[in-house]
Amino acid sequence: MPINKDPSTPPPVIGKIGPYTVFMTPPATPKPPESPAAVSQKPNLPPPVLPPPQQFKSVASSAQDGSVLGFFKNAATKVQNAHSSVDDHLVRWFGLNQSKYQWALDEYYEGKGSKNRKKQEEGFRAFKRTKFCASASFYPEPPSASPSTLAAMIRGGRSHLTSPPSFSNDAKKLLVCTGNTVSVFSAATGLQITSLEGHTAPVTTLLVVPASTAAQKILSYCWTASLDGMIRYWDFSGPELLKTVDAKVPIYSMVIPSLLSEPQQVDSSKLVAYVSVEDASLVKEGSKELRGHIRRFDLAKERLSRGDTLKETEEPKSIVISPSGEFFGIRHKCKIHVWGVPSGGGSRNAVAKKMTLHHTKVINAFAFHPTERIIAAGDVTGRVLIWRGFGNRKLALGSQKKSVRSVVDLDNPGVRDGDDAESCTTWHWHSAEVNVLNFSSDGAYLYSGGREGVLVVWQLDTGKKKFLPRIGSPLLYFIWSPEPTLSSVVCADNQIHLLKMPSMEISRTISGIKPPPSLPKMYEGLSSTVAFDRSSGIAALCTENYCVQLYNLLNDRGISEVQVCERNHQPGDEITVVVTAVALSLDGSVMSTTEVKLPEDGIGGLVSLKFWESEPDNKTFTLSTIVYEPHKDAGVSAIAFHPTRSMAVSTSFGGDFKIWVCNSDKSQTDKDSSWICHAVGSYKKKPMTAAAFSGDGTVLAVAAENVITLWNPNKNILLSVLGATLTPITKLSFVGKSEFLVAASNFPKPELSVWNTSKLSLSWSYELRIEAVTSAVDSSTFAVLALVPKSFRKSKSKKNIFRGRDGAILLFNGSDPKPVSIWTVMKAQGGSISFLEGDKSQLRLAYVNGSHEYVVFDPNSDDTHERSAIDYEGLVGDEETGDFGYTSLYGQLPDYDKKRKDDAESLATPFVSSERPWETIFSGSTLNFPPLQKLCGEFFESLMEKSNSVVE
Amino acid sequence: MEEELRVRLNDHQPSKIFPVKPKSTPKTLSKPETPDSRYWSSFKPHSIPNLVSSISAVAFSPIPPHSFAVAHSTTVSLFSSNTLTTSRRFSFKDVVSSVSFRSDGALLAASDLSGTVQVFDVKERMALRSLRSHKAAARFVKYPVHDKLHLVSGGDDGVVKYWDVAGGTVISDLIGHKDYVRCGDCSPVNDSMFATGSYDHTIKVWDARVGNSKWIAEINHGAPVEDIVYLPSGGMIATAGLNSVKVWDLIGGGRMVCSMESHNKTVTCLSVGRMGLEGENRIVSCSLDGYMKVFDYGRGKVTYSMRFPAPLMSVGISPDSSVRVVGGSNGMVFAGKKKKKARDEEEKKKASVMSFWSVKSEVDESRRRALRPSYFRYFQRGQSEKPSKDDYLVKESKGVKLTRHDKLLKKFRHKEALVSVLEEKKPADVVAVMEELVARRKIVKCVSNLEEGELGLLLGFLQRYCTVERYSKLLMALTKKVLETRGEEINGKEEFKGILRNLKREVNQEIKIQQSLLEIQGVIAPLMRIAGR
Repeated sequence: MPINKDPSTPPPVIGKIGPYTVFMTPPATPKPPESPAAVSQKPNLPPPVLPPPQQFKSVASSAQDGSVLGFFKNAATKVQNAHSSVDDHLVRWFGLNQSKYQWALDEYYEGKGSKNRKKQEEGFRAFKRTKFCASASFYPEPPSASPSTLAAMIRGGRSHLTSPPSFSNDAKKLLVCTGNTVSVFSAATGLQITSLEGHTAPVTTLLVVPASTAAQKILSYCWTASLDGMIRYWDFSGPELLKTVDAKVPIYSMVIPSLLSEPQQVDSSKLVAYVSVEDASLVKEGSKELRGHIRRFDLAKERLSRGDTLKETEEPKSIVISPSGEFFGIRHKCKIHVWGVPSGGGSRNAVAKKMTLHHTKVINAFAFHPTERIIAAGDVTGRVLIWRGFGNRKLALGSQKKSVRSVVDLDNPGVRDGDDAESCTTWHWHSAEVNVLNFSSDGAYLYSGGREGVLVVWQLDTGKKKFLPRIGSPLLYFIWSPEPTLSSVVCADNQIHLLKMPSMEISRTISGIKPPPSLPKMYEGLSSTVAFDRSSGIAALCTENYCVQLYNLLNDRGISEVQVCERNHQPGDEITVVVTAVALSLDGSVMSTTEVKLPEDGIGGLVSLKFWESEPDNKTFTLSTIVYEPHKDAGVSAIAFHPTRSMAVSTSFGGDFKIWVCNSDKSQTDKDSSWICHAVGSYKKKPMTAAAFSGDGTVLAVAAENVITLWNPNKNILLSVLGATLTPITKLSFVGKSEFLVAASNFPKPELSVWNTSKLSLSWSYELRIEAVTSAVDSSTFAVLALVPKSFRKSKSKKNIFRGRDGAILLFNGSDPKPVSIWTVMKAQGGSISFLEGDKSQLRLAYVNGSHEYVVFDPNSDDTHERSAIDYEGLVGDEETGDFGYTSLYGQLPDYDKKRKDDAESLATPFVSSERPWETIFSGSTLNFPPLQKLCGEFFESLMEKSNSVVE
Repeated sequence: MEEELRVRLNDHQPSKIFPVKPKSTPKTLSKPETPDSRYWSSFKPHSIPNLVSSISAVAFSPIPPHSFAVAHSTTVSLFSSNTLTTSRRFSFKDVVSSVSFRSDGALLAASDLSGTVQVFDVKERMALRSLRSHKAAARFVKYPVHDKLHLVSGGDDGVVKYWDVAGGTVISDLIGHKDYVRCGDCSPVNDSMFATGSYDHTIKVWDARVGNSKWIAEINHGAPVEDIVYLPSGGMIATAGLNSVKVWDLIGGGRMVCSMESHNKTVTCLSVGRMGLEGENRIVSCSLDGYMKVFDYGRGKVTYSMRFPAPLMSVGISPDSSVRVVGGSNGMVFAGKKKKKARDEEEKKKASVMSFWSVKSEVDESRRRALRPSYFRYFQRGQSEKPSKDDYLVKESKGVKLTRHDKLLKKFRHKEALVSVLEEKKPADVVAVMEELVARRKIVKCVSNLEEGELGLLLGFLQRYCTVERYSKLLMALTKKVLETRGEEINGKEEFKGILRNLKREVNQEIKIQQSLLEIQGVIAPLMRIAGR
C-alpha cells in the first residue's frame, strides 16, 4: 500500500464512501478532531450475583494514545466521514463503482479455458484455488453435487427423521434412514455399526424382512426404497447389496404385504409390493393433476404399469400396512382408504378391495391392530378414534362373507356416513395433533404421541392411560422391536430414544445433531447459537429445549447436553425462554451462555449470563457463575473469550460492554472459581453489537453500532476508534495474529470490511451480506460465509449454477482482497463456520448450515478440487457471467459491488457516449498516478457532460 | 473411543423434573475461616447487665471451677463461671481499681482509690487484712503466681510496695517511677520478680530479693503505660500504652519483639489467652474503641477482632480457656462461654489422654459400646456408619423433592400454586413461582382468577416486598397489573384500604430514596471523572 510513512503529512486513506471503496487524500493540515469521543466510564456496578468488582479502571478519554501518527490518522478518518456524502456523488461520477477495475477478474476469466496456463502466468492475480461445491444439504440434492466420496471431507448432521427406523429381527440393531444411506446402530451401545450406501437420493422406506421362526432371527435382510426410484434388497449384517429393482419414479412409501402374511413362502422373486409414487411426468408440467399414485408393483417384473394404480391423490401419501399383512391403507384429508390384500399374493389378476372410513377432521396418523379388525386414527385436534370391526362387508374374506352380512342393519354407534365398521369410539387426551399411533405387538395397548412430547399408552379394552412425559420434543415415530422389552421413539429434535419397555424408561439415546432454536426477533441475524471447540472439533449448539448440545463434528455423534435453563420444554408452546448465545473459550474449557426470559405483558423478563467450566473426564460443563441482568434490562448481543487468559467480554444492546474475569487463580480451589466483573465500558451510549479479542489478547475490539472501538482489556482504556461504516456491525474478528480486523454488517446495507488496526484505516471492503466470520489462530487466513442475494441467484443464467444454493464460503488470506477459494453452499441463512485446528496442525474448516447439517473439509486440499470437476465448471461459469467485481485501485484494492453494477448498467447510456479517460488513469501503478490538475479537468468535464445528457 | 463408550454405558438420564428455584444469591466474599477466628468466635455470648459504673478489673481464680471477680464501682462481685451468676459481693469505701486471686484461689486482694489494699477470704464477707500505706489511690494489686504470703501493689504516689500479708506490713517500698504507677504483673516463673508500668512511659522490672529498692531493668514504652502482662514463658512482657501494644523480650535486654497498633483508642487492658488446652497463646487486648483484638505475637498479626457496643475497660480469660469476660465502661460485662460442644470435644481429648493411662476407663468404654438386642440402639446400628475406604458403595438414586407449589405447578394448577406459595411466606420462593408463571404466560390469568381472600394475600405480599431491590422489577410490574385488572374490587373493600395506603407510602419512600441516590451520583460522577483522568 502506498502509504506515506512520514507522520507529519497525512497519508492517503482508503475509505469507504457510501457503498464504494475509494482512495482519498485528506487535507494537508487535518482539522482537529471533533469533540473527543465522550467515553463515559460508569462506576463498576456489581451484577446481582457477584461480589463487587475488584478494581476500578479509569478510561482515558478518546484516542490520544500518545502516537502522533494515530492522532492524525484518526483525524483523517473523521474528516473522511464528515465528507462522505459529498464523496458519494464524486465517486459515482468518477465511475469508480463501475466494474472498471475488474480487469483482474477479466483476465482471470478470459483464461478460463486454459486455466492452468493462466494460473502460472497470473498466479498472483488469479485465484490460487478454484472452487468445489460443498453443498451440505441433501434434500433434494442433485446427484452430481454430492461430494460425499471425498476423502478429506466429513459430512454429518444428517436427520434421522425422514422415515421410521426399524429394528432387526434379533432386536440388537436399529436401522435408521439417514439421508441417502441407511445407518445401522447397535441397540446396546447406541453407536453406529455400519451403513448401507448406494441410493443417490433420500431413502424413504425401510422394510426389514421379518423372521418367522427362531432360527431365522439371525437373518438380516431388508428392502429399501428411495426417491431415486430404486428399490434395493440388502443383507445389512454385511453390509451387502443383493438386488436392485428400478421403478423409475420416486418412491415415497412402499409396503410388501406378503412379507408379513406369509413369511415362510417368501421368495424374493415373487414379491408384490404396493408403492406410493410421484408421477414425475406430471410434476414437470406443473399441472394440478393428481401426482401421488398408489400402485401395485411386481418386484419380479421390475415394471410399474399405470394400470395397476389403486388411487390417485394430490401428494404422494405414505402407506400404512397392518402387522398381519392383510390390509394396507392411506390417509387422505379426513378419510382413510383401506385395501384388503388379495389372498394368494402370487395371482396377478387379483385386485385389492377398497373401503373408506370418514372423519370430520384431518387425520394425521393411523394404525392397524395386529390381529383384530381395529383401526386407530389420530386427528389434528388430538382425538384418537378407534374403529372396531371395519370392513366386515366390503373387505370380507370369502368364507366369512355370509355370516357377516346378517349384522349389517344393526345400529353402528359412532360410525359416520354408513362406513363399514361396527363401532367407533373416541379418546381425547392430546391437546395438539396426534403424530404417532401404534399398537403393541400383542394388540393389548395402543401407543399415541404428538406435539406435546408425551408418549401415552392406552389399554385398548379399558382406555386406561399411562404416560412417558417430558420427552421434550414432538414425537414422530414409535416402533417396537421383536424383543418385548425394547422399543424406540423418534423425536423431532433428531433424537432416537430407546425405551426399556414395561417401565417406559429411556435407556439410551441415539443423538443426532439438534435443530436450531427459533430466536426472538431481536437476536436474529446475530446467530451465535453455534460455538466451536477448535481443538477437539466439538460444536456447542443452542437447542430448543433450553440446552446446549455438545456435538462431535468429527465423529458425527452427540456427546452430551448441558441444561442451561432448568425448565422443562413444552414443545409447541409460545417461546418464553430461549438460550440466545453460546461461546466457547479457545481451549474449550469455559463455556458461556446467555438466556432470555421474555416478559409477559410487561411483567417479569430476565436476561442472564452464565459461565460454565468443563469437566474434562465426561466432556460436559458445570455451572460456575450466574449473572442475572448482566447489562440491566438490555439483551446480550455477543460474548467473546480472551485467547489466552480466563477473561471474557459481553456486549449489550443497552450501550455498554463488560469484561469478566475468573478469580480462580487466587489460592482457591477450582470449585470456588467464579467470574466477576472486571470493567465496564461504553462509547457514546451506542448499542454494542459485536466484540473480538486480538490474537495475542492485547486489544479488544468492540463494535459500537457503526464504529469499531479498540480497547485495552486489562486497563479498560479506549485505544482508538476506527472509522465508521454506514450500517451497524454484527460480526468482528481479528485475522489470526495480524493487525487486520474483519467487520461485517448486514442491515440495511450489507458490508464486509477489513481494517488495518495499526494504520487505523480501511484496507478493503465488499458489499456482501455476511452470516459468519472465522479466522485461523496461527495463520493469517480467514473465511466468511456470505449470503448470495436472491435477485442475483434467480437470474436465468445462474439458476442452474447455484441449484438452490444460497450462500458462499470465501476464503481470504491476510489482507489480500482476492479470495483464495470460494465454495457455494446451501441453507447458508443462519449458518456458521469455524476453523478447526487439531493437534496435527492441519487446518480444517467446519460449516454448519441453517438446519444444522454440517461439513468439515480441508480448505487447502487440492484433490477436492479435482474430484468435483463438474462443480468447478459450473461455478466458473457463474463467475464469468456474474458481476463479482474485483477491482484494484493500486493493483490491490478491489471493490465488489453487485447491486451497483445492476443500477449502473441501466444508467450506463449517458456515460457510454462520453469518453472517460479517468477510467484508465487509475488502473496502473501509483507512480503513474496523474496530477490533481489533470484529474480535476477530466472530472469537471464529465460533470458537464452528465448535466447535458440529463437536460436533453 | 473405548473410553467414550464406557462413559456412555454408565450415563443415565438425568431427572427431567425441575422444581422452581429462587434465584441464587451472591456468596459473601468472606475470607476462609482461620482456626483463630473459629476459636475466638466459638464463645457463646452472654452479657451480664445491671452492674453500676465501669468495670475496672476482672480476675479469674486459678483453681477450677475458675470463678471470677469483677470490680465495678465500690464493689467486687464474685461470679461462678459455670452459670455466670453472681455468688458474692464485697463492698469497699471507694472505687475498686484492681483485684487479684491468690494462687490457691482462697484469698482475694483488691485495691481501691483511697489507697487501701484489702484481702478477703472468698467465702467470707469481712476483710481479713486491710493494708494501708499508699498515700494516694492504689491502682493495682497483684498476688505472685505461686507465693501465698506476699502482695505487690502500686498507686498514684509512684511507689511500688511489696507487702507481707500476714503481718500487714510493707517489706519494701520500691521507688523509681516518676509518675503514677498504673499497672503491674508478677513473673510466672519467679515469685520475687515483677514488672510495673507507669504514666512516666516506663516499665520497671523489680526483684524483691534485691534490697536496695532499685529496679533491675527498665523499658520505655513511649507512652503512658496502661497495662502490662507477663507472657507465659516469663521472658517476655506485653505492655499497652495509648493505642499500641508492644511485646518486649526481657531476657534479651528489653528489646521490642513486635508491636500492634490496630486499635483506634487507648488500650485499657491486656490478657493472655490460650487457644484450647494445647493451643498457642495469644494476647487479648481491649480498648476504648470498643474492639477486642486477638494478637498472635508469634507472627505479629491480629488474628481476630470483635466489636462490642461500649468502650471496653477490662478483659479476662479463664485459665481453662472456657470463659472470656470483657468489661465495658457502661457497667456491662460481656461474658462469653465456650459452646458446649466445643468444650466437650476438648474434654474428650483430655479424657482420651487420661484413658491412655488408665486401663479401667477403657474397659468401661467397651462395656458401654456393646450393643444387645434389648437396646433400641441395637436396631439402629449401622445407620450412621461411615463407609471405609475399600467398601463398595451402592448408590440409591434420589428422587427430586417437590414442595407443594411444585406439585401444583406440575399439575398445571397455576393459581393454587401461587396461593400456596404465598401462604408459605418465603418471598424468594414466591418470586420464583411468579417467574415460572411468567414463563408459562399464566400470571395475568392467575391474577384475574384470584378470589377475594387470595387477592388480599397477594396484595399484602406485594406491599411488603415490592420495593425490595432484588424483586422490585417483577413485583412493581405485577403490582401495577393487579391494580389495573382488579381495580374495582380493590376499591370498594375496607380490608384493602390499609394495604393500599401502605403500598403507596412504600413506593413514595422508594422514590425519595432513588432521588437522593441520584443526587449523590450527581455529586460523585464528576469526581470519578476527574479521578479517571
